[in-house]
Amino acid sequence: MQSAFLKDIARSVRGSLGRFLAIMGIVALGCGFYAGLQMCGPDMRSDADALYDGTNLWDLRIISTLGFGRDDVERVSSIEGVNETMPSITCDAMARLGTEQVAVRISSLRMKAARESEPEELYAVASGTAGYLNRPRLVEGRWPNKRGECVVSADVPRADYGIGDTIELLYGTADLDDMLKVRKLRIVGTASSSNYPYTGSFGSTTLGSGMIDQYVFVSPASIADDAPYTEIYLTVSGAVDETSESERYEEVVDATKRRIEDLGNELSSARQADLKASAQEKLDEKWDEYRSERKKAKRKLNDAKTELDDAKRQIEDGERELADGEAQYQSGLTEYESQRANGMQQLDDAQAQIDSGQAELDARRGEFEAGRGELLSQMGVDSLDGAQQALEAQAAQLAEQRASLEGQVTQLGELIATFARRSELAAQAEALALQLAQLEEAGMDEQAEALRPQLEQLQAGIAAIDAGIAAAGMTEEQAQAALAAATDGLAQIEAGQQQVSTGLASVSQLRDAEAQLAAGQAELDEGRSELASQRENAEAQLAQARDELDAAAAQLEEARTKLADARVQYQDGLAEYRDGKKEFDDKFSDALEQLRDAQREIDDIEKPDIYALDRTQSEGAATYHADAGRIDSIADVFPFIFFLVAALVSLTTMTRMVEDDRVLIGTYKALGYSTGAIAAKYLAYAGIAGAVGATVGIVALSQVLPFIVMSAYSIIYTVPIHPFPLPIDLGIALASGGLGVGVTLLATWGAVVSSLREVPAALMLPRAPKAGKRILLERITPIWRRLSFTWKVTCRNLFRYKRRFLMTVIGISGCTALLLVGFGLHDAIWDIIDRQYGPIIHYDTTVGLDDNAIELDVRRVSDYLESTGEVDGIVRVQNENMQAGAPTSDEKIRVNVVIPRSAEKMAEAVTFRNRLSGEGLTFDDDAVLVTEKLSLKYGLDVGDDIYVYDQDDVGNAVGDGHALTVTGVAENYVGNLVYVGRNAWKSVSGAKPVFSTIYASTTPDERVRTAITDELHDIEGVSTVIYSDETINMYRKMLSVVDMIVVVLIVSAAALAYIVLYNLTNINIGERVREIASLKVLGFTRGEVYTYIFREIALLAVIGDALGMVFGIFLERFVVTTAEVDYVMFGRTIHPASFGYAFALTLAFTVLVIISMRHKLDRVDMVESLKSVD
Amino acid sequence: MPMAFVEFKDVCKVYRMGDVEVRAVYGMDFTIERGEFVVIVGPSGAGKTTVLNMLGGMDAPTSGTIVLDGKEVSSMGERELTQYRRHDIGFVFQFYNLVQNLTAVENVELASQICMNPLPAEDVMSMVGLSERMNNFPSQLSGGEQQRVAIARALAKNPKLLLCDEPTGALDYVTGKQILKLLQDTCRTTGRTVAIVTHNSAFTQIADRVIEVREGKARSVTTNDHPADAMTVEW
Repeated sequence: MQSAFLKDIARSVRGSLGRFLAIMGIVALGCGFYAGLQMCGPDMRSDADALYDGTNLWDLRIISTLGFGRDDVERVSSIEGVNETMPSITCDAMARLGTEQVAVRISSLRMKAARESEPEELYAVASGTAGYLNRPRLVEGRWPNKRGECVVSADVPRADYGIGDTIELLYGTADLDDMLKVRKLRIVGTASSSNYPYTGSFGSTTLGSGMIDQYVFVSPASIADDAPYTEIYLTVSGAVDETSESERYEEVVDATKRRIEDLGNELSSARQADLKASAQEKLDEKWDEYRSERKKAKRKLNDAKTELDDAKRQIEDGERELADGEAQYQSGLTEYESQRANGMQQLDDAQAQIDSGQAELDARRGEFEAGRGELLSQMGVDSLDGAQQALEAQAAQLAEQRASLEGQVTQLGELIATFARRSELAAQAEALALQLAQLEEAGMDEQAEALRPQLEQLQAGIAAIDAGIAAAGMTEEQAQAALAAATDGLAQIEAGQQQVSTGLASVSQLRDAEAQLAAGQAELDEGRSELASQRENAEAQLAQARDELDAAAAQLEEARTKLADARVQYQDGLAEYRDGKKEFDDKFSDALEQLRDAQREIDDIEKPDIYALDRTQSEGAATYHADAGRIDSIADVFPFIFFLVAALVSLTTMTRMVEDDRVLIGTYKALGYSTGAIAAKYLAYAGIAGAVGATVGIVALSQVLPFIVMSAYSIIYTVPIHPFPLPIDLGIALASGGLGVGVTLLATWGAVVSSLREVPAALMLPRAPKAGKRILLERITPIWRRLSFTWKVTCRNLFRYKRRFLMTVIGISGCTALLLVGFGLHDAIWDIIDRQYGPIIHYDTTVGLDDNAIELDVRRVSDYLESTGEVDGIVRVQNENMQAGAPTSDEKIRVNVVIPRSAEKMAEAVTFRNRLSGEGLTFDDDAVLVTEKLSLKYGLDVGDDIYVYDQDDVGNAVGDGHALTVTGVAENYVGNLVYVGRNAWKSVSGAKPVFSTIYASTTPDERVRTAITDELHDIEGVSTVIYSDETINMYRKMLSVVDMIVVVLIVSAAALAYIVLYNLTNINIGERVREIASLKVLGFTRGEVYTYIFREIALLAVIGDALGMVFGIFLERFVVTTAEVDYVMFGRTIHPASFGYAFALTLAFTVLVIISMRHKLDRVDMVESLKSVD
Repeated sequence: MPMAFVEFKDVCKVYRMGDVEVRAVYGMDFTIERGEFVVIVGPSGAGKTTVLNMLGGMDAPTSGTIVLDGKEVSSMGERELTQYRRHDIGFVFQFYNLVQNLTAVENVELASQICMNPLPAEDVMSMVGLSERMNNFPSQLSGGEQQRVAIARALAKNPKLLLCDEPTGALDYVTGKQILKLLQDTCRTTGRTVAIVTHNSAFTQIADRVIEVREGKARSVTTNDHPADAMTVEW
């Protein structure tokens, strides 16, 4: 090319530096922004890769539902492509740490390797130990040495504990005792592990809130001896050479992963066999032990039984004998008694006879004695012989006396008889005298006189008798007495005689009796002695019999006692035996049951599911990778606007330049330069501007943007920031630069080509001015008429230069859109918190109880909360960590299923509403409400089915899931939730929910809350106490990261806006210098000129601004949905204030540009108006 | 002696372009009386455009005095000059300089709306014979018609002085003559002072006063007692 031509180009640049700089600036911004954003992702990935490689992070992680043994590790190591392997033991547990309960992930650490490892600059941890993967980096303190020591993560935000503190493990997903020897871990250091690059969550778990809050490394000394490995980490040969999660990396890793998966069946069978074999071995020992012990015990029991039976038989025999003996004894006794009675009777009878004989004898003797005594005493003799003699004497005397007396008695009898006749005659005489008295008295004297003779006879008789009596000389009484005495004497003699005869008889009788008595006595005595001897005899016999009986009784008694003892003993023995038997039965049936169970368990040992997981399935790495990917998608969209604007700026700028150079082009053409050569000037001009701009922009922003983005992400990721200079990805740089320069050149070509088609002559002539046109607005006469001319011309101008109009509007709307996206993103991010907590979630306190809690525990907690007076709005819910899916998608995501005990209370604690319509949603016991993000992910609408799946310990969905029919889609920002009414829940789980999570509102006083938390932690079963404020703060921190990117966006948008506006205004004025000059000549004041020109620009800015709002809404929606993670939904509405800011900021830039452009208007020389149109 | 309507007194204008001093006008003296039809004539580079600029209030002299209707234009500041252009001067450009986006009548109104005693636009339009084309855009008008609009725009301001820069320069002969006629008639019928700046000496015939400019000076100022009618001029 000719040097003059080059000079011309150089001078063009110098002469229009503003234009050159404008193109340069816009290209720099476009390319730089594109390249910078594009490099963020790769830079982030390469940083992560450096960290991963430097710490020898695993490429694949193999987990099994039944763990692994040493053999499994061997098997895995031998698989092709597997480089190093490291088995590890990991378990999750709820722990008390500082003042909180947190979910921790406990992993075994290779102690020796850890101690010998050397931290290196920035990323790496060097180690000479083969197979030492995932090397953590010690940050503070030291590595654990012995049982019960641990290091904790150094990357936990706001940790209120440190070295020296103790972690108390409460319960785990598995039985902690199976995994660990200790329940308390003392923190001896802090470390950072590349396995947990994401500090927002170290992983998911079924415990607590579902997220791992802390990870812990312990030495193998703290791990239970027979705990199986829970996972095998391995590196893949060749993977270290590739950038983590790049396509090449994935290819390399996937090849090995596939090999492992292909061998999965084999591995899992082997594991099954190993487990079965080792378990069977142990069980067989147990079986043997069982059998031998059972045999022994059985024998013992049987012996005891035999003994007992013998004893029983003996006892029974004894009893029988005893009974016999008893009977014998009884009959003996009876016999004895009867014989005894009999004998006695006889003896007694005999005795009685003797006694009566004796008595008789004695009586007789008595009589005899008495008779003799009487006789003797009567007779005054002292023996019978004397008595006889006396008696015989007496008898003779008496016979004499008798004969005398008998003579007297006969004399006296005759006298007495005389007396008797005298008394008789006296009685007769008296009776006649009386009769005469009575008859005289009664006058019967004749009769009386008749009787008188008799009386005189009688008296004469009497006198005769009396003479005889007087002769006898005795009175009657004397006679009488003498007679009586004589009779008596006689009688006495008679009696005496009698007596003597009786006496004599008596004496003889007595003599007889005496003899008799003596004989009787002898007889009696003989009988007596005989009886005595008999009695003696009998008694001796009886005594003997008695003794015999007694002896028998004693024997019997003894036998009885013995038997009783034996029986007691036997009973005891029997009871003992029964106990023993029962114990035996229990023990061995239990044991058998257990053994059988164990056997069944062994038999039931299924093939374990073995999963090979790569880094995309590791939450931390995947989240980081996803974030890097998000930056990629943002990088794909945003710079598009910049390029678009760059193209527009170039196009108009170059168009203007070509227009300005019309005559020159004509001249060149006339001089014979080819079209290409002329076009080359402009292309070169634009190309140089573009190239310089691209280079400057790319170099600068590929450092600045990734640095800002990575700095932002370093808040939530432990991946270190690459030190300056950051690597520049040549591919991206070239693509971006090429695109930038290409767009500029294309725009330039577009501008030049039409002019170049014209013939030189036409080019030399002034271009015909663009025709004025009526615009639509004029047809609305009432408005149009009211407009001043400057307004009219402004309006017409707006639509007259379509290209300029479009460019300005698109450029400005692009900037506004970017600003709006920035502010909108800011809104979206903070809305997550601002809308979630308050407008939707009204409760601010969550108290969780552990899985074993029962109604009473929950009641205790809720009662306590109520009693404080600081807590209200208590709602009890059942919280299930599950996975959700839908028939429309293979993907499943973690969801929190909330089943409230009272739907009504739930609806008070959470506002269920549709975000778009703002209408409230009904929540009752049959309701199934899914949160909006979930519904968007699976395209769920009311009436569709959502599937919820249970998950296993490693967080895989299991089973076929349970379908729930969605009854509403609820606005929600944090987390994915399914609110299920208790009736609806029944279709998922038959178990009655405990509702062991409590939502409540607590007085927002820090001290009150701390006190309540402390109290709650002392209540049995309480595992988590979370105040939303803490969650909010955590989110704020996480979100401030994205906010940083928003600031970058806003600043870039602002720069873009300024460049576009400046350029446009510049061109606008440049195109209209003549018009401006004319106006000035016409006497327009400075202000009027400003108004005339700037109003148009301002109006364009406002239109662009307004359009940008519309454009921005769509762009923001795209960016928001791109930047969103599964777990949160960003706010979907841009705040009015943000529209205001974006709008005002664009206008502010416009004003700024206008102000800076004023002097340019001032500088327009009126002389220009006199020049010809060229 | 009463003051002339327009008076140039020893007016100099020196442009400084880098190290070079260009004396565009050097000691210019002339006067113009009210109601005169004046032609300022001279070859290219004689300084007539400078005179026009200074007289039109677009440029200030380096030294000397310019007076219009008793006002000393030469001592005016920028603001006063703007007011001066606005109220006292009606300017007609060689290339009309109509605002393309305004119709003929609107172009007139554009000027009239900024001055104090404007003439009704319609009247002015009919005065220049364009009452039929009032609502046409400049691009729909011929060059002569555009120039008429331009004249109408200048007249509508009711200026003290109508200043025309080569008003026929972009026009063909016949049209040019018609425009000259219009200007002459305007001067005659309204008594307005009209000054035409041109390189065409043929115009001198129709002027009341001819100011011949050469090498930065008013070489001669002649008055014409019987100026010819514009339609009779030939060139």
